Amino acid sequence: MEFTALFLGLAAVLLVAYFGRRRLALVLFAVTFIASVAIYLHHATDRLQLSF
Amino acid sequence: MTLNALGLYAIALVLAAAFAAQVLLGELPCPLCLMQRIQYAMLAAGPVLNIRFGPRPSHYAVSLLSAVAGASFAMRQILLHILPGDAGYGSALLGYHYYSWAFIGFAVAIVLIAIMLLFDGQFIGADSDEPAAIGWFGRGAVWLVIALVALNIVSTLLECGFGVCPDNPVNYHLLKLSP
Repeated sequence: MEFTALFLGLAAVLLVAYFGRRRLALVLFAVTFIASVAIYLHHATDRLQLSF
Repeated sequence: MTLNALGLYAIALVLAAAFAAQVLLGELPCPLCLMQRIQYAMLAAGPVLNIRFGPRPSHYAVSLLSAVAGASFAMRQILLHILPGDAGYGSALLGYHYYSWAFIGFAVAIVLIAIMLLFDGQFIGADSDEPAAIGWFGRGAVWLVIALVALNIVSTLLECGFGVCPDNPVNYHLLKLSP
């Protein structure tokens, strides 16, 4: 569900930017971007099997 | 503005190619794959703002942040499957998996944005928040990306339903449950 929500947020950013609300688009982008990074960090828990 | 529209068409091409692999090859996107798609789509925010309000450093910064995040997500997926003997996730295109191509694409985006930022003249007089008129080429590019994002909304909802997306998706969750 969180990925659907991110795509919805992104659609909102693009529509708001297109229909002419620049500052609101930037604020929505910031919220969506921070949420995407947070969701990535939440999911990226598998330990990388690397040896250097 | 033409370059920004071309950038949007390039982003649309990437998103469409991902959909082609999903629909034609039956390869549903994993959570990391979805994150990379999201960052590719977020790359479009900068060009859309440039087309609408004129070029600004902040618009390029928006796309740059998305490209850096997307490259990080793609790199993680590369490193998850980099050990010898690991078959990787999904099929390969010209010898590289899709997440490897995604990383290359994000790296190219970072370089192109840096090149665009070299030209200071484009920012002269850029201080109005009033939207500018958009020609058909730019309008088509914006709506194509928005349409692909809308398709991704539907596709992701069908795949994951209202719960957590599976790590290795093999079917569309909501369609599986429908009679």
